[in-house]
Amino acid sequence: MKNDPCSSSDTDIVRQVLDGNVNAFELVINRYKALVVKIVSKHVPRNDVEETVQDAFVRAYLSLATFAGKSDFSQWLSAVALRTCYDFWRKAYRSREVPMSVITDKHRDWLEEVLSGESEESRREAGLRSEAKELLEYALGTLSPEDRMVLELVYLEGLSVKEAANRLGWSTANVKVRSFRSRRKLEKLLRGIRQQEGRAS
Amino acid sequence: MRSRISENEFLKKAFQDVYLAKERDDIGDLRHSQVMRRVRQAGPLKSAMGFWPSFEHLVWRLAPVCCLLLLLLGVLLANMDFDRGYDYLGTVTADMEKPTLSELYGLEG
Repeated sequence: MKNDPCSSSDTDIVRQVLDGNVNAFELVINRYKALVVKIVSKHVPRNDVEETVQDAFVRAYLSLATFAGKSDFSQWLSAVALRTCYDFWRKAYRSREVPMSVITDKHRDWLEEVLSGESEESRREAGLRSEAKELLEYALGTLSPEDRMVLELVYLEGLSVKEAANRLGWSTANVKVRSFRSRRKLEKLLRGIRQQEGRAS
Repeated sequence: MRSRISENEFLKKAFQDVYLAKERDDIGDLRHSQVMRRVRQAGPLKSAMGFWPSFEHLVWRLAPVCCLLLLLLGVLLANMDFDRGYDYLGTVTADMEKPTLSELYGLEG
């Protein structure tokens, strides 16, 4: 009787692929497509998600031999996907293709409104407004790819420095320094925007 | 001390909401065929590592041991008495040379 490939464990599938059965890798794609899309969609622009997901899977295939089987396969694949996103930003910064929003009065008004924390309703809706999205994209666009990744993981996703370091494959000290630096840059940027408003009014 | 704008709980929450709203479970049709085409182009992987590559992961682990051994060797060489050894070698070679040549030409004995 032949085993159902869908019920095979991750380690079995990895073994099959490493033994030369290239088609077995399709099982990995089917099984982990949602996970990789989930990770990539948070880090790269909407239009580049599909290509980056493809890159992540190809990269995972090429480095499959480094999966020692000690950790969970999904964890290993998540780290590969995250590093692919980091490479995406490195490439984008090198070719200066980072989309930058323009900060206008409506963004400054939104910032003031949120910081004043006026009504419960406005607080709830704050994150859903396009100003929030554009302001965040603007802030992230001013950071280096390294600082951007760390800010996204630590400040926005709420991961610990150690967890972020594990996922990125960097040292804890490096992530700690970058986390501090990127927050300081964000702070400076937000203060600058507020001061501009003060001068304008 | 000035309070940090970036740590304002409402602003942080607003940014986190924006960030998490980008998360998607599906992107419609991820073209499996395209990924698999690229995978097939790369060819089958080699699982069986050669003799030396299997030691690659040990290289950095053994690096401190190598450094320690080099340091010990350096200390040992620095403390070695080379002059005495050189004199001894000179005596031995001189002693060997003399009887051999005299025996060969029958000059002595």
